[in-house]
Amino acid sequence: MRMVNFRIPYNTGRLVLVLAAIFLLGVFLLPGQLQRVSEQIGGPIGWVLSWPLRTVSGLSNGVADLWNSYVALRGVEAENQELRRELEYLKGQNSQLRESAAATERLAALLEFKRQAGVSMVAAQVIGRDTGNWYRTIILNKGESDGFRPDMGVITPAGVVGRIVKTTAATSVVLLVTDPNNAIAGLTQRTRDEGIVEGTIQGTARLKYIPMLSNARPGDRVVTSGLVGGFPRGLAIGTITRIDKEEGGLFQSAELVPDVDSDQVEEVLVIEPSTVSSTDEIRPGASSVNPKPKSKP
Amino acid sequence: MKVIAWVVLIAVLIPIQSVLLPHASVWGVTPDLGLIAVCLAGVLGGELHGLLVGIALGLVMSLFSAADPVAGMVIKGAIGYVAGLAGRHVVYLSPVILAVGILVTSCLAGLLTVSLLKLSEQQDLWWALRTIVLPQSVLDAVVGAVVYWIAWSRLNVERWMAEYRM
Repeated sequence: MRMVNFRIPYNTGRLVLVLAAIFLLGVFLLPGQLQRVSEQIGGPIGWVLSWPLRTVSGLSNGVADLWNSYVALRGVEAENQELRRELEYLKGQNSQLRESAAATERLAALLEFKRQAGVSMVAAQVIGRDTGNWYRTIILNKGESDGFRPDMGVITPAGVVGRIVKTTAATSVVLLVTDPNNAIAGLTQRTRDEGIVEGTIQGTARLKYIPMLSNARPGDRVVTSGLVGGFPRGLAIGTITRIDKEEGGLFQSAELVPDVDSDQVEEVLVIEPSTVSSTDEIRPGASSVNPKPKSKP
Repeated sequence: MKVIAWVVLIAVLIPIQSVLLPHASVWGVTPDLGLIAVCLAGVLGGELHGLLVGIALGLVMSLFSAADPVAGMVIKGAIGYVAGLAGRHVVYLSPVILAVGILVTSCLAGLLTVSLLKLSEQQDLWWALRTIVLPQSVLDAVVGAVVYWIAWSRLNVERWMAEYRM
């Protein structure tokens, strides 16, 4: 059996040198042809080699993706969380600023009204509602220590809110004008007919004891008459929506929509009694004479 | 210790009733947490406990309402006393029994309130029954039963009651 001889024969080195010389000569003398030959040979070789290349490249890309998606994105996730937190904080701050702006607007209106009204008033905030279901009341954050006493009138620039019925050292309970147990002396602004405004069980108000000959009609505004203590003359109470005349009755009555929406009241002014007399009248410049119906204070 | 616990409860209950519950009223009516607390105080602690907690809660709640304080104290005190008597005679108090008890008690308390408060002519008995007494009784019963059920299912109320009365 003949063994294969892997040793390079002596002449092979020379042959290689000759071939290399021919190759170099070809490169210099026939570059275009040699390039074509190399392309023809290189195409299939490149195709074959492309497979492991693609495999390795795919693996490499996969690892890179894995790295970018999970490992490197841990930082992005943290950054995202941070940005979300910042967004929430800014949203909250924006909301607070809006609320502050609204409060400033309301308080500025209260101050302006207080300045123009001509009677001494103390501002207070609404902190709660009645603890029972029997009365419509609001609770103020000021009480006896601030000089508040029962029967003091409570208003907003939009009009009458109610009357204080109970006080503690630090709080006051205000019976709203819409409560059926409340009664305030009022008059129709156009006809000057006087009557008593009391609340109704439907949450509106009613002007009672209007003379039968009065020509009060829906749309007429009702203001305080100043006859009973607590309120000066001319504070808006509400607008007449319906006139009721009873057959054979001595008086007619009118249903009112109060100008102040008591569910929306947040700040109020309490009228100090020493500054109120029946002849006082809110100055025409004060906004309560012609407030917008159902507007916020 | 019990006194401190009840004082804390009253201090927490008033803001909830006055500030939070008006935003969650049903049919324009809010449950009377004071009445529920007094019922539970009576049932858990007996007549004297119910009476004292009722009087205290009646007084404190009337400070933040236009209601007459004496009427509040009398009504809540009576509720606490009756709840204490009832609690002593009921062997097994389930949430359903408690709900029925609160429903009846709240109805009676509402009717008593109408007669004691001297409300306006518009607020007659039928109006009060229809718009306040019955809706509030239902709400009181539901809230009371839920509170008791939570305590009943999570805590050993019977052992608690036995220890509490000692």
